[in-house]
Amino acid sequence: MTQYVIIGDGISGSSAAETLREEDPDAKITVITDEGEPLYNRILIKEHAKGKLPEAPISIHDEDWYEDRDIDLSLNTHVTSVDTEGKVVHTHDSGEIPYDKLLVATGGTPTQLPVENSDADGIHHFWTFEDARGIREHADEADRGVIVGAGLLGIDFAAVCGAQGIDADYLMRGDRWWRYALSAEGAEIMHEGMRSVGVEPVFDSGVDHFEVDDDGRVTAAVDPNGDRYECDFAGVAIGLSFNTEFLRGAGIEQDNGIVVDEYMQTNVDDIYAAGDLTQFHDVLLGEQAQNGSWGSAKEQGRVAAINMAADAEEEGFQWVSSYSITHFDFPFLSFGHPTRGDEHAERKYSDTEWRRIAFKDGKIVGGVLIGDLSPQSKFKQLMREQRVVADQAEVLLEQSVDLDELAPTQEQ
Amino acid sequence: MNMATSELQSRSVRPESAAVRLERVPSVPADATVRHVDQFETETLDAIYRAVTEDRPVSAAETDLEPGEVIVFTDYFRVERV
Repeated sequence: MTQYVIIGDGISGSSAAETLREEDPDAKITVITDEGEPLYNRILIKEHAKGKLPEAPISIHDEDWYEDRDIDLSLNTHVTSVDTEGKVVHTHDSGEIPYDKLLVATGGTPTQLPVENSDADGIHHFWTFEDARGIREHADEADRGVIVGAGLLGIDFAAVCGAQGIDADYLMRGDRWWRYALSAEGAEIMHEGMRSVGVEPVFDSGVDHFEVDDDGRVTAAVDPNGDRYECDFAGVAIGLSFNTEFLRGAGIEQDNGIVVDEYMQTNVDDIYAAGDLTQFHDVLLGEQAQNGSWGSAKEQGRVAAINMAADAEEEGFQWVSSYSITHFDFPFLSFGHPTRGDEHAERKYSDTEWRRIAFKDGKIVGGVLIGDLSPQSKFKQLMREQRVVADQAEVLLEQSVDLDELAPTQEQ
Repeated sequence: MNMATSELQSRSVRPESAAVRLERVPSVPADATVRHVDQFETETLDAIYRAVTEDRPVSAAETDLEPGEVIVFTDYFRVERV
């Protein structure tokens, strides 16, 4: 009987557990998590923090779900190390857990700002359900906010402030939000969205240090220009540090995440990784890549499990990811790898509609759609087909995209 | 637990002729099943976008939408049978 151990019960770990049970009905499967609750919907916790969604719909699995599938779930269990020679997982107080095949799906932890008083009361990071509960409770009574981190995670704090009636300043280091994927024209639509909910973007700013009162509660953020922003609530989302400390000495290749091939295999035999923390070989991009979307994490877990159960390179990971922002009146969709590429095409259609496509070697590798999502499936199709279309960007920038207007693919 | 089926398993099969529409709702009850648009496949996301922007029903057969569930998009929308 094969023993599978999965470290992490996010969507990738849970998806892997379920797939393993389907693929190998007689196996012993153990899921270990340091969180105190089973799988929940990580993309809905921001709705809870906004004060709009009750807790119950956010839970996905209860403990019976694991029992029904004969999967051992070990909550509140901290893994201290992995002995890859002896094939044993060491835990803090739950003993040793042997494995034949191991999946690492431990995700990340929000990075703390390396500035004075960044650990003060009232300064929040946002990753777990428990974080969301704390943010919701504090936001409900806060009046002035400061947000730091001009990316996809930071904007959730802007939405929380907007929904909870907190007037906030959004301190950004550059001249616009998500400058790696948006031009000034596209970013300005997002800035207007922030302003519409009472959040003021502040550019060429950031945080030099926080000020606190005698009780250690945050009272202001001071930016590198010396400008002071009063606050009794602060949200920091400057990135994730991946949870791989327990792999120190295990010989697993890491490069800002765990390096895996398209089969989710690490460089160490019988150890796989899935989810946010992988640097995976993206077969569409032709390079290593990283992705934090729900769909990508779920699929990586499934693919890893297929290959673990088969004990072979049975199925490769090929996926075009999507990440939506649903906080404003207009939709926002980022797909693929919008920050990559060697060529870009973009157009603005109205005050709330903008589109940007990223190409690499003439092929679409990602993009951002604001306001009008109608071409998303067509762009994803072109990505999957790896069709060279950069020289026909005008067709792709038409408001209504008709793929039949593209010139036929030339034989290579 | 609010989701009787797994995240992985497909939902119930509906007749080809069935159609659903999305009804904006101001709040979500604790016993509701809720999904975010990022949990759907590309085709269902297309259908959600069409249903919301054009305010018209979409075929249930071509989507993964379950009547009664709430979708988080630019607002909260309940999936209603037509």
